[in-house]
Amino acid sequence: MKTDKLSFRTENKEGLTVIHLSGELDLEVASQMRTAMEPLVELTDRKLVLNMRDLKYIDSTGIGILIGIVKARHSRQAPFAVEDVSDHIRKLFDMTGISRFLASAH
Amino acid sequence: MSRNNIQGKVEDENSMAIDNNVKLTVPALPEFVDLVRLTLFGLATKLKFSFEEIEDMKVAVSEACNNAVLHAYEGADGHIEVEFAWAEEDELRITVRDQGVNDSSPELTRKSTLHGKSIEEIQSGGLGLYLMQALMDHVEMNIENGTAVTLIKRRSAAERV
Repeated sequence: MKTDKLSFRTENKEGLTVIHLSGELDLEVASQMRTAMEPLVELTDRKLVLNMRDLKYIDSTGIGILIGIVKARHSRQAPFAVEDVSDHIRKLFDMTGISRFLASAH
Repeated sequence: MSRNNIQGKVEDENSMAIDNNVKLTVPALPEFVDLVRLTLFGLATKLKFSFEEIEDMKVAVSEACNNAVLHAYEGADGHIEVEFAWAEEDELRITVRDQGVNDSSPELTRKSTLHGKSIEEIQSGGLGLYLMQALMDHVEMNIENGTAVTLIKRRSAAERV
């Protein structure tokens, strides 16, 4: 069963790469997400932003991927942020404690 | 004649409650976890849980299913059985059960968050169980001939009719 449950749209701005996530970020699409993010994490001369306006679902699998991105960007001294986080996803970020490591994009 | 309604009250001449639980069995594979979420969404909506309560339960149930997918069968074929019961008024009880061989995975009982940790220390292990407990009113885990996780959510007073 192959689904298009998570999609990515990349927007390049001045010194900034915004990835617009749409759909559900769960165990099924975890490896797809990791693969998509790998080259982007290496773009150390640009700020990396994940836009979550159209992200409908995330669980500890997705939060684990975000932890990986946070650590990779930190070790490369490259900025990373999230934006347009829904109230429910924000609640999960606050509960788990990852909010502290996700700088606001603005 | 019996009258069976979604609120979990089943009435017949003797007003005896009967088992009207809903059971769903899916392969223990990542691509079936969203089917469990969809079923939960449909049932919890019928039971008049709030949007936020349903979102909380979706994550908690998925975490239990993820554990079964990742740890229960060590790559062999297997199934996850999810049982939804609402025998008590305003309370949904969801049991996620596998017949896994891997009863001793430390991932099953590890609970942890990122609070108070440095960026070098943070990791994802333990977040699943933490979220289950934080998002539900009660969580029970029974590890014996596989794993059974029971997740209980009470409907908020404001939603009661």
